[in-house]
Amino acid sequence: MLIILFIIMMTAGCKTKENTEFTDSPIIESYLEPGGYFNLAVSRQIPFSSDVEYSADDIDNLAITVLYNNSSVVLTPLGNGKYADSSLIVTEGIEYNITFSYNSKNVSAYTYIPTKPVNMTQSATQIYIEKTDSTSGPPTGTMPDPVKISWDNADGSYYLVAVENIETTLVPIHDFGDEAPPGNIFKKAPTKSNSEEIRPMDFQYYGTHRIILFHVLPDYASLYDQNSTSSQNITNPSTSIVNGYGIFTGLNSDTLYIEVKKK
Amino acid sequence: MFFFGNTFAQQQEYYFNSPGNICYFKYVCYTQTNIYNSIKQPFIFVLGKSGETANEAFTEDTLKNLQAFNNYMFVYLPNKGNNAHDKLQCLDAFASLQTYNYKYGHSNLFLTVNDPEISQSDISANGLNSIFKNVRLASPGTENISQEPSIKIADDFKETHIIYEIETKHEDVEYGTYYTEDESTESIENDQSVKPKKIYFGPPASYNFTLTGIVRDKSTGEALPFATLMIKGTTTGTSTNVDGYFTLLKVPSDTSVLIAQYVGYGNTGIYLTPQTPKKNFTIEIQPSTQNLKAITVIGHREDVVITDKSDVGTVKMTPRKLELLPNVGERDIMRSFQLMPGVSASNESSSGLYVRGGTPDQNLVLYDGFTVYHVDHLYGFFSAFNSNALKDVELYKGGFESRFGGRLSSVTEITGKDGNQNFFNMGADISLLSFNAYVEIPVGKKFSSFFAFRRSYKGFIYNKIFEKFNGSTSSVSSVPQGGGPGGRQMQDISITSYFYDLNGKLTYRPTDKDIISLSIFNGTDKLDNSSPMHAFSFGASNSDFSMNSTDLTKYGNIGSSLKWSRKWNDKLYGNTILSYSNYYSNRDRSQERTVTSTSGETTTSNNGVFENNDLKDYSLKTDYQWDIANFSQFQFGGFGNFFDIDYSYAQNDTSSVLNRKNNAILAGGYLQNNFKLFNDKIILLPGIRTSYFQTTHKIYYEPRASITFKITDKFSLKGATGKYYQFANRVTREDIMSGSKEFWLLSDGNSVPVSSSVHYVAGLSYEPDDYLFSVETYYKKINNLTEYSLRFNPSPLGTSYDENFFNGYGYSRGIELLAQKKSGKFNGWVSYTLGEARNHFTVYSDTYYPANQDVTHEFKIVGLYKYKRWDFSVSWIFATGHPYTAPSGAYSITLLDGTTQDFFTVTSKNSLRLPDYHRCDISANYKLLEGIKGDKRRRELGYIGFSVFNLYDRKNIWYKQFTIEDGEIIETNVNYLGFTPNLTLSFILR
Repeated sequence: MLIILFIIMMTAGCKTKENTEFTDSPIIESYLEPGGYFNLAVSRQIPFSSDVEYSADDIDNLAITVLYNNSSVVLTPLGNGKYADSSLIVTEGIEYNITFSYNSKNVSAYTYIPTKPVNMTQSATQIYIEKTDSTSGPPTGTMPDPVKISWDNADGSYYLVAVENIETTLVPIHDFGDEAPPGNIFKKAPTKSNSEEIRPMDFQYYGTHRIILFHVLPDYASLYDQNSTSSQNITNPSTSIVNGYGIFTGLNSDTLYIEVKKK
Repeated sequence: MFFFGNTFAQQQEYYFNSPGNICYFKYVCYTQTNIYNSIKQPFIFVLGKSGETANEAFTEDTLKNLQAFNNYMFVYLPNKGNNAHDKLQCLDAFASLQTYNYKYGHSNLFLTVNDPEISQSDISANGLNSIFKNVRLASPGTENISQEPSIKIADDFKETHIIYEIETKHEDVEYGTYYTEDESTESIENDQSVKPKKIYFGPPASYNFTLTGIVRDKSTGEALPFATLMIKGTTTGTSTNVDGYFTLLKVPSDTSVLIAQYVGYGNTGIYLTPQTPKKNFTIEIQPSTQNLKAITVIGHREDVVITDKSDVGTVKMTPRKLELLPNVGERDIMRSFQLMPGVSASNESSSGLYVRGGTPDQNLVLYDGFTVYHVDHLYGFFSAFNSNALKDVELYKGGFESRFGGRLSSVTEITGKDGNQNFFNMGADISLLSFNAYVEIPVGKKFSSFFAFRRSYKGFIYNKIFEKFNGSTSSVSSVPQGGGPGGRQMQDISITSYFYDLNGKLTYRPTDKDIISLSIFNGTDKLDNSSPMHAFSFGASNSDFSMNSTDLTKYGNIGSSLKWSRKWNDKLYGNTILSYSNYYSNRDRSQERTVTSTSGETTTSNNGVFENNDLKDYSLKTDYQWDIANFSQFQFGGFGNFFDIDYSYAQNDTSSVLNRKNNAILAGGYLQNNFKLFNDKIILLPGIRTSYFQTTHKIYYEPRASITFKITDKFSLKGATGKYYQFANRVTREDIMSGSKEFWLLSDGNSVPVSSSVHYVAGLSYEPDDYLFSVETYYKKINNLTEYSLRFNPSPLGTSYDENFFNGYGYSRGIELLAQKKSGKFNGWVSYTLGEARNHFTVYSDTYYPANQDVTHEFKIVGLYKYKRWDFSVSWIFATGHPYTAPSGAYSITLLDGTTQDFFTVTSKNSLRLPDYHRCDISANYKLLEGIKGDKRRRELGYIGFSVFNLYDRKNIWYKQFTIEDGEIIETNVNYLGFTPNLTLSFILR
């Protein structure tokens, strides 16, 4: 009867492919800077469930092909999931594609190397900060003006400022009490602006600091979109990586120096 | 039934019914006095010998000439058929036919059967003993009993002289519900045959007329919507409209018998007489007093008596006697629907209906004409509808008609009580979970009012039970995976909150033709799901950490409708509704985190979700129905809506993620026509609905049609198809960490498109006496679904969260089986649904994946048993677990400054399943009855009900909540209600 046929038609139908609980997708980590060797690292996700099976692929022995300027090269495994090619020097403006097979899927990613920051300037080359400690109360003198770092950014690219103390011994500006001393690097969040201010209280140590201005791509900037590690939502940063996670991005930088002196 | 008067000599000949009817025959009436219209004549029916015609029986009969019967009316019937049942089957309807004003009654109706094959047991089997005072049978072997008249016959058929009393039009209205405690053998199975007074027994005076009127509850005067009226012995019928009015075209004669049927009221016979008003005839029905009728849940089209509804997949319920079903402390109409096939029962957290793979927002909920956008109280454990305030509810599961629109899946049409029109009345229920009271105040004959109020509270026992079975039991299962991120901790949390609601309705009937009613509904919920988190020392952090989680939601509905209904004439009926509906929801799900450093410094920060949704719907609509002919009813109407929907969502106290304000006009109209063809064997309902949506500047056409074939009285086939559009959608905001939530948005024609669906429904039903078997299958294709997810950055420069709306499509299909025993001391039903709901959103997956509401198998069994004053019920539900998505792993990335950032990966969309859902509920109700002096019957004062929800304390999981703290995942199972007993005390004044 027609009805029965209809019922069969509705309930039979094709079986859709079952999704799986845990997908063993590789994590790629690669920052390509002009002048450096082409290098990247591949790692595995850490699953939450203990009874997860990884794919049979050897993370240290993947055949990763780099395609650039109509030529290709297979990266040399260096162990611990690291790969490089000493003959392949990363060059500004060139687009790099990688491709390899992992867990029966074709993993691919692409990026290009952005331009070196142009007209990077600083409002001061040295700054005087009063030494304070918890016993002497709040600082009495006036704080110096922030140091303004400027650059050209006509196209609204992402830039990132990182400041690193390069002294061999670190001389703190104020004591840290019982807290662990901070690291020698601090950073600003990526910005689409053409300037960034470094406030005097950002500095933790006296001495020479290197100010690195990175010209980064949006996928790197998106790593900072996480509002914190306790994020309510899981947001995978936007990336060009297909069938994998991580970061595969090009960047370019320029460097200035600033001296932090005792007042 | 059809009559042709044909007079010759003294006897008169008539035809009963029309050709084609089983009960079509010619009969003969005869009196010695030639008086044919007396209402005081005794009657003798004469059934001829086997194979005899009425004329032959008349000719052979000698009783008619006896002096003893000189004032008697003789009626001669032909003897057709091969067995006793065939021969007697028409007698009941035939005798019933002529008896409204006949005051001489049962005592003066006699039957003589000249066929020796018919025995006393055949007479009983056809219920004729209750019609006739005396039945005289031909003794077996006696060939010619009627030719040997004796004194005995005159004695047997002796006239009982009764003083004729002038009929009082309005006898005392019996108030309330009455029961007889029948200690003897109950004849429960005769609920099909109502034996009212047969008081007119004479020839009809008019034929083929139109009867109009209203069906009411006898005790309260409430008009009964969607009651069914049938002409007995035929397939002709109609049903009342939402205001209780009906128009029955081509009633064969004014001695026809009508059968009124209404869920919970059983069948009532109405005996027309030539004196019956043809217009504004009031039919009053009441629940049967003799037998405690079981709750009757009937699939509308499946019911053999109902011929006017061509709806496919319709379920109808009345809140009356709803307490017989197991419940969570409240009689709940939406919960009861969830026990039917095709409506998912495993969503304790939603009173909204998941109909055939559709979501609750795809179900149009109309309450007295206005749309209700959110039907949940207390996380959906209760519905927003107080059953004390409701009169009638119908659910159209798919393929619904053109007069409804704006939804993709289904329609729930709710009619509120108008209030008692005769007397002041009130009632109250108190249970361990809520207090519920109502009052009905009539003013004069033209005005009635109804108010109901309900509020939940957490009483002592409630708390005790709740804490005992839902307390915070933490189970920690940390699975460190090589350090760093990884590992899960589990804990359970419980919930506290309250709700209240208010229903009011004022009804004014200035004339017989007009009804003006104002209906108001307000419901408010405050849900506090806050909990202190038992935070352990996380990872390598050397500072103390504590966290207070706030989860506060306040939401509610305010709705009102002003309705004017007018019966313009016998054939044209219309109503116009002006309405307003507002749904608002404010949610604060944030975590106040206090970190105490080793130096004693504390820092506090607020982090979380702040979500507000505000929907306003102003609407004006009008619906008309025009009974063109008895085979065709034309329905048409127009509507205009103004929607104003706002939504905002923020993740931190400072940053707003999404802020939308949309408003637009939606206007249009519809046409549909209900055809009944081939003696009502085929019912066809084609229609079209057209809408103009201001935002898209487009016109949307929705053609729809349904068809029903009645193959036999008991077996029917049906099918429906249609196109449906939805302009205001509830969008799912995907939240893997704390359970996805939904919010209402108006289509913007762009990132939130106008969604659409196409339905194909087919089914068949078989309904032998007391049972119902039905199979329905459906396929529903849905386009332009919208979800919101922050999990993906749609563009590399993705900083605008407005872009995070993703569109997809999906389908659902399934088959529903239902077997129901409809009456008897023990009754109930078994249902099974095999279903599949799949979505396809490219952003989540390149294949179809199970939709959030997907349930593969769903099995439900409901049993009801009555014993004296007790009603017992049990239900068991089994459903495949819902799909969900969970964090599946983690990874770290070293940033340019050398620090690392952790990220989390999730399973593919909805690839995990919660454990299967199952639960058993039981209930027992004891009726409180009050005896009345000199009356065998007892009036119902109320009842004491005891129920247990989740009898064996199954821990069914509602959703999983994940929080990440210092690289660890805390997985929290938020459970549904555990073992919850409840006691209900219900009183009614009348």
